[in-house]
Amino acid sequence: MTSASDPVIDATRLVKTYGRTRALDALDLRVRPGEVHGFLGPNGAGKSTTLRVLLGLIRPTSGTARVFGLDPWREPVRTHQNIAYVPGDVSLWPSLSGGEVIDLLTGLRGGSEERLRRELIDEFEFDPRRKARTYSKGNRQKVALIAAFARPAQLYLLDEPSAGLDPVMESVFRRQVRRVSDDGATVLLSSHILSEVEQLCDRVTIIRSGRTVESGTLAELRHLKLTHFRIEGTDAGLLAALPRVQNVLTDGDLVEFDVDASDLATVLDVIAAARISGLSVSPPSLESLFLSHYGESKVL
Amino acid sequence: MSGVRDLALIQARRDRVVLPVWILGIAVLAFAVAGAVATEFADEADRAAIVSMATASPAFLFIRGLPDGTGIGAVVFFQGYAFTAVLAALMSTFLVIRHTRTDEELGRAELIGSVPIPRAASLAATLILGSVVNLVLALSVAAGFALAGLRGVGVLTAGAAVGAVGVFFVAVAAAVAQVMPSGRSANGAAAGLVGVAYFLRGIGDAFGTSSADLTQVTSAWLSLLSPIGWGQRSRPFSVADPAPLLVLTGVAVALAVTVLGIRKGRDLGASLLVEPAGRARAGVGGDSFLGLAWRQQWPTLIGWCVFAALLGGIAGGLGPVVSDVMGGNDSLRELISRLVPGSRAEIIDVFITALLGIAGVLAAAAGIQAVLRLRAEEAEGRAELLLSTSRSKARWLGANLLLAAASAVVVAVAAGTAATVGLAFSGVVNDPPGLLVAAALAHVPAAGVFTAAAAVLFAAVPSLSIPLGWGMLAGGLVLGQFGELLGLPAWLQDVSPFRHSAAMPVEPFDLTAALVMSVIALAGAGAAVYLFRRRGLTV
Repeated sequence: MTSASDPVIDATRLVKTYGRTRALDALDLRVRPGEVHGFLGPNGAGKSTTLRVLLGLIRPTSGTARVFGLDPWREPVRTHQNIAYVPGDVSLWPSLSGGEVIDLLTGLRGGSEERLRRELIDEFEFDPRRKARTYSKGNRQKVALIAAFARPAQLYLLDEPSAGLDPVMESVFRRQVRRVSDDGATVLLSSHILSEVEQLCDRVTIIRSGRTVESGTLAELRHLKLTHFRIEGTDAGLLAALPRVQNVLTDGDLVEFDVDASDLATVLDVIAAARISGLSVSPPSLESLFLSHYGESKVL
Repeated sequence: MSGVRDLALIQARRDRVVLPVWILGIAVLAFAVAGAVATEFADEADRAAIVSMATASPAFLFIRGLPDGTGIGAVVFFQGYAFTAVLAALMSTFLVIRHTRTDEELGRAELIGSVPIPRAASLAATLILGSVVNLVLALSVAAGFALAGLRGVGVLTAGAAVGAVGVFFVAVAAAVAQVMPSGRSANGAAAGLVGVAYFLRGIGDAFGTSSADLTQVTSAWLSLLSPIGWGQRSRPFSVADPAPLLVLTGVAVALAVTVLGIRKGRDLGASLLVEPAGRARAGVGGDSFLGLAWRQQWPTLIGWCVFAALLGGIAGGLGPVVSDVMGGNDSLRELISRLVPGSRAEIIDVFITALLGIAGVLAAAAGIQAVLRLRAEEAEGRAELLLSTSRSKARWLGANLLLAAASAVVVAVAAGTAATVGLAFSGVVNDPPGLLVAAALAHVPAAGVFTAAAAVLFAAVPSLSIPLGWGMLAGGLVLGQFGELLGLPAWLQDVSPFRHSAAMPVEPFDLTAALVMSVIALAGAGAAVYLFRRRGLTV
């Protein structure tokens, strides 16, 4: 068996090819017990493929995947014993009601916890009596989320789980992730939205084109903590007075740049002294990070 | 108006494959029936024999319709009209529902509804398309009859009698689309109404009164409740009366106008009946692979069983009549005995054996369909949800194979039971009791081989499994059932499992062949599980 400190997920140099396309290209992923791990990458980076390999639904072309120390391809049933999964694109049985699908999926895992099931249906404001063919994307997502959370698991694999949810439902979802995390479960949360990962995750792994770009705690990945400035009504003269700004873009009287957290105070002082007509400050988007930090060749 | 025209053209374009297939298929059926009657019953005396037999048999009248004289055209119309009209009605209902309720359910109608055209324009376009299609169908059926050598105004009237039923069901389906909440339920309800129309006509005809010379039957009043009964009243090859067809068309127009009014006053997506609420909790077995498979399979299984029971009913109900008629027709006797080679059996047994053999093909089809449904589950991403739980792939495939095998058995039993009941109604002693059920069940091992082979295809070449699976059945059907007729070499015919089923009741039950095929089916199922465990899911 595995010891408490061994990684729950340990994937090394995973490769998965479909004909000439390389969906995964030597991808590494390590997730420690009890952490909420963000799995970040743009669309088509290989996040869903990785999760399917971790579930033993597809076999990697090369490389090794271990979940709870088990090879998910060789022992899918033992591996799945303690896993709850929410796929990226939830497809349901049109003639079954939402309630029936939830009972089916939890039943196949060993049965739901009645109290949890009731609370989840309540919190997600979900109507379990409607036929699945009448559900919108958000409601189909709720079916998969309720089924995943209605039975305690040691590992939750969530593939872009908040897609289609409105902000209120997103906060219900975040509360559930925190609840299972407090209970000691491990969560792997794939997303292409940086802010979602920032709110929930202890550590993140960033992938691009099937390859791990970097991995670490949010504090370690300082560039994820950059602040993006967009200033109107100024000129390049302002930039000269600013210390260590990154990713500078200028367009007429418009200036954009990113600033490290430690330099924020200085930058704000300089801006306060300058004559500007407009200012917006935001966290950087994943797209801009890929553009600036990871050397994405294509221009966004 | 230009909006309506454009919409009708778009709808026609969407149907550019399916509609020609329907029309051509129905026209070819008309051609084939006319050709068969012209060659098999070339003599007036043969035709008089079958017509007088039919007038005396309520079962024959129920299934086929009203005899209307002994001319070739009249016998063709009597033999083929009811089935042809049912096909025209089904083509029309599916056409209308596809462009109305299904589009509404899937949100396509919302896009159309957002452009500056009247609310009912799309429905009007569908009604026009349906009318034009049925006009083309009427001409095609008439052309089919003419190509087979029929002549005169009766040919056009007969075609119009088919088209008029189609037009009537265009309007009926449009009304059903206003009432039912989903495309699936609307298709089911409209197809059910087609069945009711056939059934009412059947009852009315069965209780009809025959003329003194036993060449004509006048239906009881119940047939007048059925559009197919009205179409039949045109009697194309005796009086060629267009009045009943004008009545049908007039009623259809009035109904269509009413439905257009309803659509104008109705919210998008609203329906008279609403989708009933589902269960809040899963029922018994709702948390197992077998329970899920059953939930998905039973509506389709009922369809297979109805089909098989119809076939069995025809075998039992018409067997005695057919055998009496064919006793005097040497060429036909030879043709039928070629279907079951080497036998000099009673014609009634040969007839029943041949139809139960086709029921065996249906049993195989039900098994194959149940297995190939897994491919849709996989490609549409639902298998992923199921197989990420703590149940194995082997159990998933195994549960579905079990249900597929059970489906084949149930379909065979339905055919055998219906044949037994049909025979009992014709007053023939069925000896020993249960013989016909056993005869249908004798085809189950062969059906099992097909089911297992479909599973191996699903496991080995998932992306091609659906065309290959059905192609395999078509191949087995051609080799096994028609190989003799086509003069194929024996070794090639023997490739088909159908060739090795005992053709009961003509032949005795062949235990060895049944056991060998059962073992092959089980081995195939095992191989499918082994191969499936070794492959990843693919979309």
